[in-house]
Amino acid sequence: MNFKKEDENYIVCGAGGQGVLSSGSFLAYIFMLDGKHVTFCSSYGAEMRGGAVNCEVNCSDDEILNLQNDKADYIIALNQTSFDKFISKVKPNGTIIVNSSMVQENRVRQDINYIFAPLSELAMNLGNIKVANSIALGILSKITGNFSIETVKQATQNVLKNKQELIQKNIEAYQTGFNYTQKGDN
Amino acid sequence: MTNKVLLKGNIAIAKAALESGCSCYFGYPITPQSEIGEFLSSEMPKRGLGYVCAESEIAAINMALGGTATGTKVLVSSSSCAVALMQEALSYAASDELPIVLVNVMRAGPGQGYIYPSQGDYNQAVTGGGNGDYHTIVLSPASVQECADFTQKAFYLAQKYRNPVILLVDGLLGQMAEGVEINTNPYQEIDNSSWRLDGNKDRTSRKIHSLEPNETALNKHIVEMHKKYRYIEENEVQCEEYMLDDADIILTAFGSLSRHAKAVCNYYREQGVKMGVFRPITLYPFPKKRLSELSLQAKQIIDIEMNMGQMLKDVQLSVLSNAQISFVGKPVGSWLKKEEIINIIDNIIKGGVNAGI
Repeated sequence: MNFKKEDENYIVCGAGGQGVLSSGSFLAYIFMLDGKHVTFCSSYGAEMRGGAVNCEVNCSDDEILNLQNDKADYIIALNQTSFDKFISKVKPNGTIIVNSSMVQENRVRQDINYIFAPLSELAMNLGNIKVANSIALGILSKITGNFSIETVKQATQNVLKNKQELIQKNIEAYQTGFNYTQKGDN
Repeated sequence: MTNKVLLKGNIAIAKAALESGCSCYFGYPITPQSEIGEFLSSEMPKRGLGYVCAESEIAAINMALGGTATGTKVLVSSSSCAVALMQEALSYAASDELPIVLVNVMRAGPGQGYIYPSQGDYNQAVTGGGNGDYHTIVLSPASVQECADFTQKAFYLAQKYRNPVILLVDGLLGQMAEGVEINTNPYQEIDNSSWRLDGNKDRTSRKIHSLEPNETALNKHIVEMHKKYRYIEENEVQCEEYMLDDADIILTAFGSLSRHAKAVCNYYREQGVKMGVFRPITLYPFPKKRLSELSLQAKQIIDIEMNMGQMLKDVQLSVLSNAQISFVGKPVGSWLKKEEIINIIDNIIKGGVNAGI
């Protein structure tokens, strides 16, 4: 009997309005396009903007059996509150991608990897602060190698359809994220 | 690339209902199923179909009695404490033999409870909260794909047997998105021209009612209904079996929690424990015969539910061997995780019998 390895778990967390749910569901969509099994669960308060928001994406080659997980392999934290709350949920040897424009660089755990990137600043340099989340996905693409920038581009076109300007801006953002980590590696 | 779309269970149910030819929706918003009504409120008017956001749940289910009586396919959706309000009309629908499809996306009870996830409505759906001697067919999906597929099946079974069908959905599934294909309806259309109320211009008049002030006639009606139930029990039972061929420990679970049970099973299989998972898909009719057969080879049956042991009674009634039956459960909140279940089962295997949270 063959036993598959456990599912891979991702969490995106931040404040309402930062694009937490859209980047989470977009990540799930990318995995789905690649033929993987995915689940996407979101959790948010009654507040629309500014309130705590997080979502969980699980991905596997087989049926996903664990629907609710305490821990994740990769976490994207877009603000200070979510960083403080979710740092304990990174699995040992897992990675947290942190928006250092809004989070103090504090490596409280020694058993995980950190990528501090000024996502908001980088997004503003691109002319649209709303694409900070897409930069994070670019970084995720680079460090996991689990999905290609090509799939991301295809998915962006499918989701945003005719909004050419937005498609272009988001693709620039992924590319920025992807290249940012390359710099970090050197 | 894939033909799948990423959808929440609630939206998958709504889309599948349209694919099944559902032409009327009656409901009243309640978390965690509001997306069903929200989606249909924009989609149905566009297609010239009937959407009514009723003034209450009681109004909604009674509109469904009227709608189905005309032979129209009707969907009603709600959640736990509001489904409780609908029980009177469900009993009427059973006696009137009206094919209502009711989706219950469960939240926590009893009473008002809260929006936490729970599987607390097994009893409500399976044994019914309405008066009298009736059954509703109950289908229990474990994935978003099954939310869609079983919605289509629910419409088919409702029409085929002229009986209300409940789709009993975990709140988690209603809110969770997965890749899903909304298939074209695979079921044949059932001819309802012999009973529907569609005007008697060219035929003798008909009536549909549950009032029967004649004792003999009422007895006959109920006996006929139960002949139908026996036939359903013989022909419509559905279950899923996972690694049961040589299992001497059988986990039983329904709905999405059965996936956690499979993860637990995989863990024990790696340890060399012969474990399998039995998932009833039709909760009524319960797959009694099959579980009974399987229990003959088993030493232990462990029932896992997100309630305090509602399906457990049906499991106990099915097991005719000396297999030891234990229960693992928790009433509301985040789904029992693999590790939590394993901790409890370790104790059960070591010799404890009942261990809840």
